[in-house]
Amino acid sequence: MSAFWPFIVIGLFTGSVYGLSAMGVVLTYKTVGVFNLAYGAVAMFCAYTYWELHDHWHLSAWIAMPILFLVVAPIIGIALEALYRPLAGLSAEVLIVVSLGVLALLASLVPIIYGSQDRQLQAIFPIKTFVLGSHLHVGYDQMGTLLISLLMAGVLWALLRHTSFGTSTRAVVDNPDLADMIGIHGDNIRRAAWILSSVFAALVGILISPSQGLDINQLILVVIFAFAPAVLGFLYGLPAAYLGGLALGILGSILSKYSNSGTVANIEAALPYLAFFALLVLFGPRLKEVGAATRPLSVARTTSAAVGNAGRRASKFVVGVAGRRVGLDRRLAVGLAAFVLALMAPLAFHGLGLFIITGAMIYALIALTLVVLTGWAGQISLAQFAFVGVGAFTVGHLSGTHGEHFLFATLIGVLLAAPLGLIVGAASLRLSGLYLALATLAFALIMDQVVFNRVDVSRGITGITVPRPQFFGISFTGRASLYELVAIIFGLAAITAYALRNGPIGRRLHILRDSPLAASTLGVNLVVTKLIAFTICGMVAALGGALYGAWQQSITPFDFMWSASLQLLLVVVLGGRSNISGALLAGTTFGVLIIPGIPPDVTKAIQLTIAFGVIGLAQEPEGTVAMTKRQTNHVMAVMRPLPRRRSRRAGAAAAPAAVVVAGTTVAANGGPRVNGQDRRVAATIGAREGTNGHAG
Amino acid sequence: MPADIDAATMTVAAGMEDPTAVLSASDVSVSFGGLNALSNVSLSVPAGKIVGLIGPNGAGKTTMFNVLTGLQKTTSGRVRFMGADISSWPTHRRGRAGMARTFQRLALFTRMTVHDNLVASWESSHPGGVFGRRRSERIARVRAVMDLLNLWPLTDRLGGELSTGQGRMVELGRALCTDPRVLLLDEPGSGLDAKETAAFSDVLRMVVTGPDMPGILLVEHDMALVMEVCSSLTVLDFGKIIATGTPDEIRQDPTVRAAYLGDASVV
Repeated sequence: MSAFWPFIVIGLFTGSVYGLSAMGVVLTYKTVGVFNLAYGAVAMFCAYTYWELHDHWHLSAWIAMPILFLVVAPIIGIALEALYRPLAGLSAEVLIVVSLGVLALLASLVPIIYGSQDRQLQAIFPIKTFVLGSHLHVGYDQMGTLLISLLMAGVLWALLRHTSFGTSTRAVVDNPDLADMIGIHGDNIRRAAWILSSVFAALVGILISPSQGLDINQLILVVIFAFAPAVLGFLYGLPAAYLGGLALGILGSILSKYSNSGTVANIEAALPYLAFFALLVLFGPRLKEVGAATRPLSVARTTSAAVGNAGRRASKFVVGVAGRRVGLDRRLAVGLAAFVLALMAPLAFHGLGLFIITGAMIYALIALTLVVLTGWAGQISLAQFAFVGVGAFTVGHLSGTHGEHFLFATLIGVLLAAPLGLIVGAASLRLSGLYLALATLAFALIMDQVVFNRVDVSRGITGITVPRPQFFGISFTGRASLYELVAIIFGLAAITAYALRNGPIGRRLHILRDSPLAASTLGVNLVVTKLIAFTICGMVAALGGALYGAWQQSITPFDFMWSASLQLLLVVVLGGRSNISGALLAGTTFGVLIIPGIPPDVTKAIQLTIAFGVIGLAQEPEGTVAMTKRQTNHVMAVMRPLPRRRSRRAGAAAAPAAVVVAGTTVAANGGPRVNGQDRRVAATIGAREGTNGHAG
Repeated sequence: MPADIDAATMTVAAGMEDPTAVLSASDVSVSFGGLNALSNVSLSVPAGKIVGLIGPNGAGKTTMFNVLTGLQKTTSGRVRFMGADISSWPTHRRGRAGMARTFQRLALFTRMTVHDNLVASWESSHPGGVFGRRRSERIARVRAVMDLLNLWPLTDRLGGELSTGQGRMVELGRALCTDPRVLLLDEPGSGLDAKETAAFSDVLRMVVTGPDMPGILLVEHDMALVMEVCSSLTVLDFGKIIATGTPDEIRQDPTVRAAYLGDASVV
């Protein structure tokens, strides 16, 4: 037993940090209903701020820490509260997207503000050990971290148990609307929760940065370790989160005793994610989404958000009144014309330019799978690049190392992705919304750690060489021919998706997104539908991976890291997650970012723009496309000729009258969107139609 | 019990099989932890009849609906539908077999048009629908429902932009598109004004007397609507049946009056 003690001590040290992080995550989730995926980014930002104050400005720790805990962290907390307040009660999808946007924002701000050079960090506690018992050496840093985290856990627990703040918080957690009615200021409570959570994040950041180093991705990742205990916290409260963190730390540490390399080491590294995935799937049916569970107004809120869209929808309706069919056909025609133009691109672009466009198109193909899965079927996947990796590495091994035919290798890669799609799909049977998204994140991390990082799979940093394909007597080794192959595959995929979108299959996916409950009572087998959606999208992503390998010709695990899937979701949201053009825009963004020789400042600016754009457009399924459309409609509305007198007659056939009806009844439901003139018209219409003014 | 209770009501009260019933539940109990949400509730819905399920808030009406549609597991009891024991069927299988419901809180497909709401409903409930088969049949059915409920003015509106009254109509239409043998309506009258309620009760009568003669189980707080359209009523309180009978009998029942104390004028 004594051989275990050193590992238990190390485990307690890391586990206490997990516990602290988990409590911070649970705090905001329980009080506000937001699962803060950006929690690690807040910790990372605070750590950088602390070391900037301490090392760069040469402030003593006694000044730097109060600045961090009393000024910086609370400001972040207040900013986050202000950001999320108007989003209360919206769907899990929007909240996840916003929190990923915040993550991206902080991750792109840090290099801009603090630079990205490596720093030598001083230890916060003395680098000495003392001997406990007969021969157990314990570092002061370990002991200090454990004591601080215990202290903070105790303080938080006492605060929630034994003060009026605690009672109010529990009231808000239980029923925010009721709490408001009995005079508890919900906004203040939520703000306090955000501030506390940020302070915890800051503490986590400075406690782990001396041992983990000051690295943006590493610090974000370490906090994801804490998501597994956080799940326990959702179910059994804050102490469970803390104890879960300790247990996870100790378990991981003991496992590390048995492993230096090989499978056990892989499993040890992936333990937090495996635990996260297992806990989610195990407790899935018991996990309730806080937003949905405690907010009776959530339905009404969602509806009003939809009404927000309705204004735009109405104007689209207006445009389409005369001929809805024509509108659809026109879109298809534009798409086909673009496709033909795209096939001719090699006439205009050569060499590097063509190489980059090819990459952008492969990325667009991968993005298309996310559009179908997330935008249409409402299933958030944070694991698309895991499938891409499976396709790419399979082709790399079979076609590269073993010299098999490219088509055969691709087929195997795509088929291998199917059972993985089934695994993620199976998780979706027990989980939905937020928890499904988290499970896919855990899946991506597991694939990253357990599979792609194995030397026999990826050959580590050196990677695998993938040959360019050659089949049907055609060689695709040249840039132009490879481009044509990719363009044809993407074009076929996009046209198929477009054809399915407005048909029965598209409708099946849309009802899965809008109301799974209603869909199942109508006779939709949710299990089968979700499994098929995840599997097919995974297979197409794997096809994208095969092309990705052929395009890059050399692939490493870094190409398919879990963060690539997050980045994919961000650019797809930006481009418009419900549109095929959203996938194209995502591809374009990717293409711009991989242009060699692009100045780092421009890259940073693009990253920042993406982050801001995502936060701003999270509620907009059509992303920038919707924005552009709205602007175009504004311009068109100004240019439109004034309605002629005869059209004021009530006849439904007169198109401009239909314009007024559609626009204003919607506006009447939307409430604040109505301006004075509209309201007058709306009142008239309401009186005429009877039911319309009756907003839900 | 009054002496003039008819045979059908007797069997319902005794929890026995009613041969004319399309849907029947016998001795259904549900408990959440220590709380008995439903204890030994039996009811049956005959074809072509509207049966009301009433009771104060929290009496277990929506729980009963969830049991019937398979969204809620029972502690004990059976559910029979068109002669088959469907107690273990999943929700979607019941939907396909001809059971349709609406929701107390609207559950429309908010980002789809009204027309697509109905089309998707038909496609979901008919085999092959998702592959676009039996297109002409689908078009005819959706058209008929749009006509019946007068939904044409709303054709291209999105589910999310409708008023509650319009939404209730669309939910009813969506349920009708499944060619239901039994319709479960969960407070369809809430959020409707007097005019809309009147229109709604007309529609309900049209539906039950229509060619398919579906049975309707109606949960409703609007007593005027319930008394007007229902042919028999079951009253729940604290998860137990406290009375069954025709609207007139229920109106006279002292237990029901006690349960609705303070609301006595509406009963």
